[in-house]
Parts: sequence; C-alpha cells; structure tokens
Amino acid sequence: MLDQNIAREVLACAVSTGGDFAEIFMEDRIDHSILMRSGRIETVNTGRLHGAGVRVFSGTNAVYVHTNDTSREGLMNCARQAASAVRGGKGCILTPFKAFDAARPEEILLLPTDVKAALKVEKVRAADAAARRVSSEIVQVNVNYLDHVQDVLIANTEGVFVTDRRVRTRLSASAVASSGTENQTGSDNPGASMGFEIFDSRVDPEKVGETAAHQAVTMLHAPVCPAGVMPVVIDNGFGGVIFHEACGHSLEATSVAFGLSEFSGRLGQQVASKCVTAIDEGVTPNEWGSLHVDDEGTPTTHLTLIKDGVLMNYMIDKLGGRRMNMAPTGSGRRQSYAFAPTSRMRNTFIAPGHDDEAEMIATMGDGLYAKKMGGGSVNPATGEFNFAVNEGYLVKDGKIAHPVRGASLIGKGSQVLMKIDRVGRDLQQAQGMCGSMSGSVPTNVGQPMIRVQDMTVGGR
Amino acid sequence: MDMNLFIDKLLEAAREAGLTSAEVYCAEGSSFRARAMEGEIKDYQVSSSSGLNLRGVWEGRMGYASTQAYDEAAIAQLIEGVKESASLTEAEEQDEIFAGEKEYPVLEKKESDIASVSAQEKLDACLAIEKAALEADSRVWKVQGASVSTMSSKTILRNSYGLNLTSEGSLCLAYASAIAKDGESAGTGMGLGCFGRFDALDPQKIGREAAQEAVSHLNGSSVPAGEYRVIFRNDAMCDLLGTFEGIFSAENAQQKLSLLAGREGEKIAAEAVTLMDDPLLPGGLATSAFDAEGSASRTKAVIDKGVLTTLLHSRKTARKQGVSTTGNASRAGYTSPVRVAPTNFFFQPGEKDLQQLISDMGEGLVITDLAGLHAGANPTSGDFSLLSKGYLVKDGKVCGAVEQITVAGNFYQVLKNIRAVGSDLLFPGSSTGSPSVDAGVLNVAGK
Repeated sequence: MLDQNIAREVLACAVSTGGDFAEIFMEDRIDHSILMRSGRIETVNTGRLHGAGVRVFSGTNAVYVHTNDTSREGLMNCARQAASAVRGGKGCILTPFKAFDAARPEEILLLPTDVKAALKVEKVRAADAAARRVSSEIVQVNVNYLDHVQDVLIANTEGVFVTDRRVRTRLSASAVASSGTENQTGSDNPGASMGFEIFDSRVDPEKVGETAAHQAVTMLHAPVCPAGVMPVVIDNGFGGVIFHEACGHSLEATSVAFGLSEFSGRLGQQVASKCVTAIDEGVTPNEWGSLHVDDEGTPTTHLTLIKDGVLMNYMIDKLGGRRMNMAPTGSGRRQSYAFAPTSRMRNTFIAPGHDDEAEMIATMGDGLYAKKMGGGSVNPATGEFNFAVNEGYLVKDGKIAHPVRGASLIGKGSQVLMKIDRVGRDLQQAQGMCGSMSGSVPTNVGQPMIRVQDMTVGGR
Repeated sequence: MDMNLFIDKLLEAAREAGLTSAEVYCAEGSSFRARAMEGEIKDYQVSSSSGLNLRGVWEGRMGYASTQAYDEAAIAQLIEGVKESASLTEAEEQDEIFAGEKEYPVLEKKESDIASVSAQEKLDACLAIEKAALEADSRVWKVQGASVSTMSSKTILRNSYGLNLTSEGSLCLAYASAIAKDGESAGTGMGLGCFGRFDALDPQKIGREAAQEAVSHLNGSSVPAGEYRVIFRNDAMCDLLGTFEGIFSAENAQQKLSLLAGREGEKIAAEAVTLMDDPLLPGGLATSAFDAEGSASRTKAVIDKGVLTTLLHSRKTARKQGVSTTGNASRAGYTSPVRVAPTNFFFQPGEKDLQQLISDMGEGLVITDLAGLHAGANPTSGDFSLLSKGYLVKDGKVCGAVEQITVAGNFYQVLKNIRAVGSDLLFPGSSTGSPSVDAGVLNVAGK
C-alpha cells in the first residue's frame, strides 16, 4: 500500500517540529451492501473508502490530520500540517521498520469481493421469506446484508510497519408486526469476521428472519411493562450489553485517563460482586470484534478486566497509555482513517459462572426476565446507563407470566455490578456496533444469564 | 485529478458504457477541531475529504456505486458497480434521474470569516471556553472537553442531462461539557453554540452555560414512580423530534413503517402544534436551494395547527402516491441511496417562554436530558422509555434536580397531548429545532 521510503519521509516530516511520536494510518476498504424491503431488492451498493491520516504526539497531546489524497505529496501535506500544530516538544529518532504482515489469510475462506452479488441476494431472500412465513401480522420485513474488506497499513516512528486485512460479513433482519393501529418491531443481526463462508457454519438466514418476526409478533400481543424497582434476570447473548454500557465504557482509557470515570484509580479494588469476572479480548479467530493488530499497529490481547469482582485492567490505547503511564492493551480502534483512534472495546463479556439458570428465575419472586436486550448508552462521568429491553417477560412468583413491551433498564454502573447475585454457565456472544469518539466499530457483547437483585425498570 | 474533470470523464464513460442516464453526487468537506483540557490543547484534528457516488439507469433500473479514489480504475469500478447493482435491483417504483427545474430559489449569500480565521484563534477560543467553565462556579470539577470545530462543505450534483448544481456552506461549532462535584454527587452539563461566523462565538457564554447546567444537576434524586406533567426543555424536545422525524416520511409510510400513512388532512396533533420543514431558512444547517434529486427546495408546514397537511416526499414517493415532490429527497452521506428526510425541521414557536410554561404547569417535571434515544425509542411504534434528567417543579417553580428516572410514552400520543409550545426555539447544532414543549402527562419510573 505504501512504500517504506515514503513512510519514513512522512514520519520524519511529522516529527520535525518536536513531536515525539508519529504514525501513518492508511486504509483502502470495499463495502458491499444489499437492502431488501417489501419483498424486493431495493438497493445494491458498492463503495470504496480510501484515505490516510497522520498523527503526531507531543507528550500527552495529539494532532491528527487526514485526507483522501494518499500520494506522497498528499501525505507530506498532512505531515506538514500536523507538524505545524506541534511546538517545542522533545522530538524523536525514527526506529528502523520491522515490517510484518498481521493478517492470517487462511481464516477467510470465501473473500466477499470474490463472491457474486447474486449469491448474496439469495441469502437476503431466504431471510425475508422466512420472516414473512411466521405470521400474517408481519407487515414489513427489512433485510440488510453487509460485507467489507478493509486493508490497512500502520507505520510509526517506533519501527512498526504492518499491514492487516479485516473481513466482516453480517446479515440483519428487522420485522414489523402490526394490528393496524399499533406497530411492534423485532430484529436479529448476526455477523462475524468471516467471508461468505459465514453462511456455511454460523449464520442461517432463515433463522435470522424467523427470530426477528417472532419477536415482533410476541411484542405486538404484549401489554406495556409496569414501571418500578424489581429483580431482573438478563438472558445470555446480547444481554451482555448491560456490562458494555454499565461498565465497559467506563473502563476505557478515554474516560479513565483524566480521572473522569467512576472506576478511575480503583485497580485492585472490589468493584463488582464476587461472582463477576469480565473479559475484553481481540484474539479469538473470526469473532466480530477481533483484530490481528489494533488500529495503532499493536497486537491485540486477551484482557481480564474484572476477576472475581476485583478490577484488574483498563482498556488502553497509545495516547491513553501516555496519559495514564500504562502500557497499551491493543485496544486502539477507529471507524476509518477519518477518525483518530482511541481506546475501545473488542469482544467484551462476563465469563461463565456456576449458577443454575432455572433456579435463578424460580427464586426471583416477582420481577422482569429480559430475554432480548436492545442498545443503550452511558455517561461515564456519572456512571448512569440505560438500555432497552426488546423482548421482556414479567415474572410472577418465580414463574414466567407473560411478555411485556416498552421496558427499559436504568442504573449506575458501579451499583448494578455489586448487585449481580447470580451468573449462569452458558456464555453466548452477540454482535453490535459501538459508537464513541473514534466512530462506530464492530464489537461483541456477551454473558451467561445473570440476575440483578434490583434495578429500576422504566415502563408505563 | 480535479473533481469537475473527473466527473466529466465519468459521465462520458457512463454514456459510452450504455447507461441510459447518470447522475453524480459529490460531497467535499474540510474540517478543523481542537479540544482543550486542563489548560492544554489535548486533541487537534484537521481533515479534508471527499466522496462521490454515481447512480445511473442500466436496462431500465437504477444502480449505485461510490468511491473516494479518483483515478481511471475508479471510473471502471463505478460503472461496473452501477451495472451490477442495477441488474439485481427490483424496486417496484423505478427511480429516475431528474433533468432539473427551470428555476431554483436564490439563497441569500452570507459572508463568512470561517475560512480565514487562524488555527491559533480557534485554539485560544477552546482554552477560553474551558477557563470560563472552571471559573463560573467553584463546584465545577473538570471540563471533559472544551472544543471548537469549523467545517466547510460543498455538494455537487451533476447529471447526463447537463444539470450542474452546487451548494456550499460553512459553520463553527463550539461546545463544552463540564462535570460538577459536590461531595458524592456529580452532575454533568453541556454548553453549545453553532454559528455561521467565527466572530459570533462567545467562549464565555458557552463555558458558563456548561458550568451552570452541570451545577444545576447536582444532588439530584429520583422521584416516586407515577404519572407526571412533563415539560421537555427545547434541547430535549429537539432530541425527541429528531428521533421520531422518520414518521413524517412518505417513504416510511409507504413501507408501513409509519402510522401516519394515508392520514393527510387529519388532525394528528394538538391545535398548538405547527411543524415546519424549511430548506430556505437563513443560516439553517440543512439550507439548500435543491434536494438530493435536484428538485427545487420549498418551505411547508407539515403539521398546520394540528392538521397533517403532507408527508415528506421525494420524486419517487410522490409518483407512487400521485402527488408532487416536496423537495425532501436526501442522502445521509455520499454512499447512501436517495431517501426522504426533513431539511430544517422545527416546531413553530409559541408565545410563552420556559419560565411561563413552568409556572403554568404548577407541578411536574422539566426534562433537560434524554439518554439512549437510539435504544429506548422505537421510531416505528412511537413508543419511548428513556433515561431522563431534569428538575422537579412545585408551585410553578423549579425546586431541585431529578435523575435516575425514565420517562415513557408514545410520540404519536405526545403530539396530541401537547398543551403549549414555548417561544424559545433552539437548533442545538443540528437542523432539527424545537422550543420547550409542555407535553402533558407522561409515565415516570423512579424509586
């Protein structure tokens, strides 16, 4: 993608005014998407993203300049602009490049760019048809197929010169069930760091469509969820969004570095109930949030965030590492060259525990069983989080009574972690897109079934 | 390659490749952003980028492809992409490339200093914002980010019929997010300003606003669950309107994703509600003389005193329904297909300011922050259940902060239940705007 001599020249220019670290991130990415609505293929879109950015550090301050012009002159221009914003740093000497190729191409069996769009369309049709078969109340089905092949190159003044290829494929279905005066929706969105072989081993398009449709129909016939404080059992898979929001974001260097997070300065302390162990890792082959190297060229890691309730690690990017005086954890990520990287989650989950799933519900009394969670958000400064329950059931006297809709869960991260009193055995992960300062990146969330002693449930 | 030269070549190649008609949508932009913290510039970003989308008709059907590389290889890739896309598409109503209107509205030209202001002046403004926030109140503990951004953008729409339209804009966005602490309690607040000129930016005001807002949320508590009268402050109401604006799209209605399908002419909201879509609004972030299909922009009341007068249309959705386009064809980005979206979209302000709305309400809540809108609100059903912050109102006066509650309701119902629309119309750095709104009674979950 880039000649080493040009890379050296650009980096040297970038640190010429006193910067003590410089980095080039170059990207060429092909996206392919297919959208089916109302039983018709509506759009088939290919796109090519192409550009590069130059980043310079001076101490704990950073400058980032990016462009579409990846010619030598375009990159030099970025370097000059970046250098002009740095004044009076201590400078640095370029370490000779130790070039390596991070990609393990054997993991991708069918590169999406080699697969005919007509074959992708077949998968979309299968999901659509399956969703429509579920019920006559299904009035609308949207199916979205997405794949991308992203080639990146990262070079820096510390001798990194690495290329990586990231390949991802995802199929999303959303269904609307309607009674005429009311609409309810359901969705399912599995994906992986895989090519088209995802449909041989991991994703069954018919199941995706059916899952979305069943959820919509179930919710259409559900009364609204009562509001109140109650025990909540959260199912495995996407239920892991609770950890992602309640705790994950607050363990990112972005929040921790300036003491802004409620978990700042709490390494070694009990921050969660003893039954909670939480992991963030980027190394499992083919997982949605996995990377060979992060977007700063650091190899990804398997990181224990919390062990038996005790805070062990933060997720740290290079700049965050400087600000915290700690080593990067391979957590520097960005949506594209148009964003400076920052600390982000990869595949983040609560590890399996020892509790029995049936017992958890049987002994909870009256409460909420959140079978399928939606998205959420958090304010790391206060720890206040919220998320939506896409498919919930009211539990009465330890028995699942009936579905309820419109529920949301709110709380403060540090409090909810301490209130987890059961962690089940069956870990499942699910795919999401996580938005933050460096854009939207693919992340896995996950957990076994867990129980929170009490939470505020929003409803009507 | 020069962009217009590249487009010339691309349109010529499209013709040679047998595309019946073709259109190029190109978005170019440059931006600057700096963020100050602890008296230093911590982040500094400069960008220039562009992207181009080709859509064209091949064998009677529309295909799309886009690129950020502008070489010979890109031309071939775009045309191949359009053909492949068109050959697989099976939309019922076929899109067409619009030759163009005879006339377009003429927008008032505004002189802007944004292109000429120096980086140093912008850095100084960041530092001044942070300082102002820290000095405004002793309880302000930290400022998470005091930032100033400037952006310039240019959209080019050209097609094989010779249409050649350009729209340009620039703006300056400044914001501060402050954290206040008082014992164990923490409160966050934001100050925000969006300006057509850099010299309109007042760092003191933005810093002070962030500080006051953060301090005002200190020592908040939850309230008992139940039904409460709720006023959504202008910024919170903007978020709510922005989340549900899709229900006014004819495209969504035709796809059964909006419950407003076929309800034009009916009363769907309270008398006090007039909802405007005004692409010609001076200084608006979505102000443009033409839409993404090249139709001339026009101003309309989508809801006029409670009555739904029209949904928002592109040429495609209008054709399907046998009406005229409202000039609301839109692309979310250069890679996105043409869809329907509002332009400058806002509730027409009423007579009373927020203070008067509060005293009229007597008892209830003022909601200032809604969190998790992408998750806790369902644009298709209209249902929402959102983590909220604000203030408790008793005897017509604000008396303390409220946090850790959810406010739940249904947007379609809220439109009907609105009791009053305030006078304080705000566009918080977006093209969606609203005054504060007394939304009537809603369900609140708390302690």
